[in-house]
Amino acid sequence: MADGKKAKIGGACDVVVIGAGNGGLAAALALAVRGAKPLVLEQHNAPGGFATSFVRGRFEFEAALHELSSIGPENNKGGVRRFLEDEGGVEIDWVPIPEAYRVILTDSGMDARLPFGEAPFIDAIEEKVPGSREPLTRYFALCREVSGALGLLAKTAANPSPKRIIKDLKKFVSESADPFEDARRNASNVVTFLRTLPKTVDEVTLKMGIPPKAVDLLYPYWCYLGIPMSRMNFTIWAAMLVDYIDYGAWIPRLRSQEMSYAIEARVRELGGRVEYNTRVDRVLVERGRVKGVVTASGETIKTSAVIANTSPTQLYGSLVSPASEAPAAALRNVNSRKLGGAGFVVYLGLDASPVELGVNDYGYFISKTMDTDAVYGSMEKLDLVDMQATICLNNAIPDCSPPGTTIISMTTLYKPGVWDAVKPKEYAALKNRLADAMITQFDDALGTDIRSRVEEIEVATPATFARYARSFNGGIYGYELDPWDSIIPRILSEKDESYIKGLEVAGGFATMGHGFSSSLISGRSAALKTLAGLGG
Amino acid sequence: MSDLIKFDGLKDMAALLELLPERKKRMKQASAEPQTGDAMAALARALHPELQRLVIADVRQEAAGARVFRLVPDKESGTAAPAVFRAGQYLSLKIDISGVRVARPYSISSSPADAVDSGFYEITIRKKDGGFLSEHAWKEWRVGTKIEASGPAGFFCVEPLRDARHIVGLAGGSGITPFRSMLKDIVETGADVKFTLLYGVNRPDEIMFKSDLESFVAQAPDRISVHFVCCEPDAAWCGPTGFLTADSIRKLAGDPAGKSFFICGPQAMYSFLETELKQFDLPNKRIRREVFGETADVAAHPDYPADAAGKSFSMTVHCGSETTVIPAKSDESALVALERAGIAPPSECRSGECGFCASILLNGKVFVIPETDRRRLAAKKFGVFHPCSSYPVSDIEVKVPLDKS
Ligand SMILES: Cc1cc2nc3c(=O)[nH]c(=O)nc-3n(C[C@H](O)[C@H](O)[C@H](O)COP(=O)(O)OP(=O)(O)OC[C@H]3O[C@@H](n4cnc5c(N)ncnc54)[C@H](O)[C@@H]3O)c2cc1C
Ligand code: FES
Repeated sequence: MADGKKAKIGGACDVVVIGAGNGGLAAALALAVRGAKPLVLEQHNAPGGFATSFVRGRFEFEAALHELSSIGPENNKGGVRRFLEDEGGVEIDWVPIPEAYRVILTDSGMDARLPFGEAPFIDAIEEKVPGSREPLTRYFALCREVSGALGLLAKTAANPSPKRIIKDLKKFVSESADPFEDARRNASNVVTFLRTLPKTVDEVTLKMGIPPKAVDLLYPYWCYLGIPMSRMNFTIWAAMLVDYIDYGAWIPRLRSQEMSYAIEARVRELGGRVEYNTRVDRVLVERGRVKGVVTASGETIKTSAVIANTSPTQLYGSLVSPASEAPAAALRNVNSRKLGGAGFVVYLGLDASPVELGVNDYGYFISKTMDTDAVYGSMEKLDLVDMQATICLNNAIPDCSPPGTTIISMTTLYKPGVWDAVKPKEYAALKNRLADAMITQFDDALGTDIRSRVEEIEVATPATFARYARSFNGGIYGYELDPWDSIIPRILSEKDESYIKGLEVAGGFATMGHGFSSSLISGRSAALKTLAGLGG
Repeated sequence: MSDLIKFDGLKDMAALLELLPERKKRMKQASAEPQTGDAMAALARALHPELQRLVIADVRQEAAGARVFRLVPDKESGTAAPAVFRAGQYLSLKIDISGVRVARPYSISSSPADAVDSGFYEITIRKKDGGFLSEHAWKEWRVGTKIEASGPAGFFCVEPLRDARHIVGLAGGSGITPFRSMLKDIVETGADVKFTLLYGVNRPDEIMFKSDLESFVAQAPDRISVHFVCCEPDAAWCGPTGFLTADSIRKLAGDPAGKSFFICGPQAMYSFLETELKQFDLPNKRIRREVFGETADVAAHPDYPADAAGKSFSMTVHCGSETTVIPAKSDESALVALERAGIAPPSECRSGECGFCASILLNGKVFVIPETDRRRLAAKKFGVFHPCSSYPVSDIEVKVPLDKS
């Protein structure tokens, strides 16, 4: 290498994975364990995308992860843990989150701490809102039926159609070990599943006779999906609620960066390659087939398969080259869908212990109200949003920062577009104003004084996420999960909506929706589809 | 409730199917215009351009051994305006010297308003004997020379949500540069802070920006004060003398309690002040230090493995699809070894902080100075190291990132 700066990636390869975020890394892992040798190209200098951390002074902050679902304990592993550990051979030091959440509603003065596990969860709500137990028990049974049927669906064949789904579900019922009991249960799962499929969360939940104050305590996870309950598809919600409450939530001990480095190291160990500082500017397509990618430094890598850990909006809008190869149908597809929220996070390193501060819980949902339409509406203005989802990392990992210190991160969402008019010269002051307001929001809700203990502060805005993770318009969520664009309609439309041969999408914008777990799972499915394509 | 529901395949399937026509309809009605960019990517690029193409518009001497270079956008090459920055930040200047591309950090000594309203940055380079970039700059740079720079970087900035309302700046030598920017900014924005600057120099003729600093005081006498402290005063010197010590700091800046201390200067000054400031018993958050670049004498560190001193090792380097074996001295950073060999991985802070040079240590051992080890926990666990702040203490094999540009 006489002239080192001209070093090249070199050659051709079977599969190129664009982006080493959750979706891209999971795809690379699933490919590598099956003997394929993926080439992962990442524009940043570390793996993870949002699954990352950063150091300021004595503190290492988690950039994004609040809690991962589908992990579960060693003896009852969830789907994501089985994928990473059993299939992928990736070892991660998982730490359980102590409780589901603490919810503080500042308008009504409601303040409750909710544990994991259905029974304790319902007990805690019953204690705050007597009369909730019976309807909530029915509600959980319903959610469980829906989630169970969704689980069955995930196992159905690769060519889903409405008929096929029903057939598979019936088949599952008839093959059960205890035909009578299972048939009854599964038949009802299927029915409940199908009936609630076109419904929003509100449409199902508000008919169950749950006291309104108990609904307030039940709804806080809505902000992880990011669209109001009047629009959010019930199926997804039910599956998420049951998953969190049953399996609990987990985080890697060394921040989500541990997971991304662990997967990256395993991919390399299995013969895959990962190159950093390598942005892909173009995906070459010829007559509807992938032919290669071109990096920002102008190098062309030939390949017939690409897994893009990006949004389809960016993929068809600017990556596919020539532009004439981006089909009008694909462009209409991405333009018809609503982009999820853009992130705003205040990271604080505090020079007092959680006990000294009076911050004794891991996850806080602090909101004016649980009227999700109103809160969502507040995300439309460039001002303090009505809700923050806040994590105190030390309450899951006590030694995550030096003794006598605390790490807190406060997250909220803005609708895409809200930050569009921000000028670079106003940027720092704006960040500061909003961060200031969120610190006050927290201190007022908890009666604490974290403000005077700030030793390190960093603020991430939609522009920050656009910079580090190249997320479209600073979004931290994928497309919104309205009933018509929730997971089942997406699965059923996959065939119709596959536009370019050899091109798959992984990550928060893929079929399974956003969130760490869904993105990881989506990477695995993209890998399987890619391999099927290469084989055939 | 399960018992109450009867399975009615057709009806339930209808529910499922109802969503698909809705989906098709929405997609049919949507626009087929590609979204080729987005506002947040544009904002991110404006704030943090990967590369700024600049051209030297003015050069002036500032005290003995320091030159101020005024950099304006090289509009012909596509940079329209200098990126906005926060007072205290630096630029990483990139140069090609005999085919080797290297980068060095320099604090911006002009103010944010100079960039936003007047379209320029100033950086001030102190001549360093044997310095790679500084000697080159002194010899070659004149009005019209084109310079490439990173976007503004670094965290040595006053943060109202964290810092005290009264700031004490402790500057040594060329460490004055970010403070000039901060003080000018305070004058120009009317920021509600008090700033006391103590500026230590060896000799009176080394004082940079003397008249500028005095004019800042004159413009905001209630908020800004500046004290020059000289080690080797001449006969005409009538200000304070000696090093910046706990005593002199207390005398010039008053009671340290409730104040934030910002330190920027040569490496030796940090270790010295470390001990001095201990006497004030300040909380950690009240002391901010700028990173100081590569460590001068790594073998002097108490944790350095003594048997490695003065040796030369071999370094097997994987970069992209190529592999090279190069020599690496134990007392030079792995980054310098790479640059000497003509392999230039990206770098920005050269202080272990920014992660731009992050590489993977596949085999062998490096010494990482604990005080400048700012790697993430997981990075350490998985063998990631920052060549700019790591020193080979055995033969090593590494994978370094490709340069972006
Ligand atoms: C955040 C920050 C802000 C700063 N701000 C300022 C400022 O405002 N003003 C200022 O004057 N200084 C500033 N500095 C210090 C400045 O960055 C250093 O003085 C500068 O990096 C020295 O660079 P150099 O190239 O002159 O010397 P170096 O090259 O770093 O000297 C080290 C030695 O390594 C050798 N070497 C290095 N690279 C190669 C190579 N590729 N090939 C062969 N030999 C090589 C050189 O010959 C030399 O012997 C700042 C530093 C930091 C970290
Ligand atoms: S250049 Fe910043 S960490 Fe090495």
